[in-house]
Amino acid sequence: MQFNPCMKHKLIRDSARHFAETELAPIAAEIDKNATFPTAVAEKMKKLNYFGLQAPKEFGGAALDSVSAAIVVEELSRVCAAVGLCVTVHNGVAVFPFLQFGNKKQNEKYLPKLASGEMIGAFSLTEANAGSDAGSVETTASKDGNDYVLNGTKIFVTNGGVCDLALIFALTNTDQKQLQSSVFIVESSYEGFLRGELEDLCGMRANPVSSLFFENCRVPEENILGKLGMGMKIGMTTLDNGRIGVAAQALGIAQGAFEAAVKYAKERQQFKKPIASLQTIQNYIADMATEQAAARLLLYRACELKDAGEPYSCEAAMAKLYCSTLASKTTSLAVQIHGGYGYSKEYDVERYFRDAKVTEIYEGTSEIQRMVIARAVLSKLTL
Amino acid sequence: MVTELPWDEKTGTLRRDLAPGMMNPACKHALEAALQIKEKYSAHITVITMGPPAAKEVLYEALAMGADSTILICDKILAGSDTYATSWILAQAINKQCDKADLILCGAFTADSETAQVGPQLAERMNLPAAAYAEKIEVNGRTLRVRRIVDNFRETLEMKCPALVTVSMENYLPRYVGLGGLQSAFSENQIKVLDAAALGIAAADVQKEGSRTKVRRVFLRKTQKENEYFTGVAVNVVNEFLNKYERKISTVIGKSIEGKERTRGK
Repeated sequence: MQFNPCMKHKLIRDSARHFAETELAPIAAEIDKNATFPTAVAEKMKKLNYFGLQAPKEFGGAALDSVSAAIVVEELSRVCAAVGLCVTVHNGVAVFPFLQFGNKKQNEKYLPKLASGEMIGAFSLTEANAGSDAGSVETTASKDGNDYVLNGTKIFVTNGGVCDLALIFALTNTDQKQLQSSVFIVESSYEGFLRGELEDLCGMRANPVSSLFFENCRVPEENILGKLGMGMKIGMTTLDNGRIGVAAQALGIAQGAFEAAVKYAKERQQFKKPIASLQTIQNYIADMATEQAAARLLLYRACELKDAGEPYSCEAAMAKLYCSTLASKTTSLAVQIHGGYGYSKEYDVERYFRDAKVTEIYEGTSEIQRMVIARAVLSKLTL
Repeated sequence: MVTELPWDEKTGTLRRDLAPGMMNPACKHALEAALQIKEKYSAHITVITMGPPAAKEVLYEALAMGADSTILICDKILAGSDTYATSWILAQAINKQCDKADLILCGAFTADSETAQVGPQLAERMNLPAAAYAEKIEVNGRTLRVRRIVDNFRETLEMKCPALVTVSMENYLPRYVGLGGLQSAFSENQIKVLDAAALGIAAADVQKEGSRTKVRRVFLRKTQKENEYFTGVAVNVVNEFLNKYERKISTVIGKSIEGKERTRGK
């Protein structure tokens, strides 16, 4: 059991932090305000392997271990959560399913482009009537010759506005007794692939979240990921991994808000002394620091289990639940410590506060995480 | 700033437990200069550092940036070396490990002591032509053209390889470290660790060639200036000020302001 970061993890953190502070910190507030995706910075990130975190070297990826990948997402999110989101979704739920389920031909065709960032990926499960209940997907794919024809609407697609490739969950058997979904690799250049307007969201505003519409969109049969009817399996496996990414992101946001709060508490003078000398503020800081340390261990445990090939679904859910709850709590306290200034857009904590909330919602709500955890606990023979 | 770092008052050395390890910024610029030279000419870059085992970190970083091989000189008997000893040890290492080096690049100075001595001392030890504080290096065959800024003058020097140049922080902004490069640096692990014996250095040599200096104290030089406040009615304040300083002011401006008619406030 290893609790201290090794040299590699320290260097990964230092490097990602240096990049984020140099490239993202100066623009984070502005791209949030204007809801614009930072294309120029993304180009630089592509060259540095940020879009191929865990893809194998043979496909041009960085082949990082899961703790390293989580650290990268933490550090990006610590400065700009919307870019952290783009990276974690691309790597965690668009590249990852290829690594798990892609066949040789699919991997050779798509992984080099995904790992280099030439193609940005998205993952589309959620629909108007299907989110937590992944079985209620209504998008259909009907066979026609050697193609499948997709029809339906996906909503709240992270990276939707910029993705070049999306993994689409669609029903391939609409028989009421045997509903069956499959995952399709759909390139944005395919006819019938349409993007909706960008969503006007509370936080993560620099990420182009949009709807995707499929109108008789023809997808070749060879673009079925895994096998026909494997949709549910791919979805659940991918979400387990995605949860590690969202946990890392939530932790990064919490870290950013925490650092801002500590800095401010040392500077802000009230009653002729820094507010950091007040016991109430010290209690806040102590609790934030303790909970963050605990959250980090939960997260890295899930990563290590994943890399060891052990089941990690429950641990990923715990990490996601705890880190996202912590992110909301920490960012709220960070605003509180800043007082009125924290409620102003002039201070970063206002943005962190807005960004944190959604980590309790996407990639499975906190309620769903509890369901996953409870099921795992209740199914064990010995606790 | 040097005085802001955590120094051990007793030994005059840096407390490494409190100061996070990092590649010295000017050295990072020197590595960037090397990488840019390598982009134009075929080259093999060897990065050498001396320090405790934790100093491997900067070598992994160097590998991730594009260095070809690295050497860590690590031995307890070399601990606490001053610039004189360090340059001697480095010279031994270079002579033993890369005796065919055409160009030796160093950071112009360290962030934790700013002596800027090791590079020039190393050139003396190795009997090489050298230029310090370089902001630009051009390579033409065996000739180096080095531009540097010293005392607000910019000068360009030429010398023949092999040579030594210390690189300042004006140019050669270090590239970002790629994540794939970092992963490879650790999985391929091209770090050669050499102790004193491997460099042919015995404890007796350290006595002879070792440190000549000792840091007694690290402190911020304080200025002697103090502000003086005159308070009261304006006319009294002005008079009080002039009574005290008119002679000094006259001296500075080279013209007497003494004896001018003015209302005495008494």
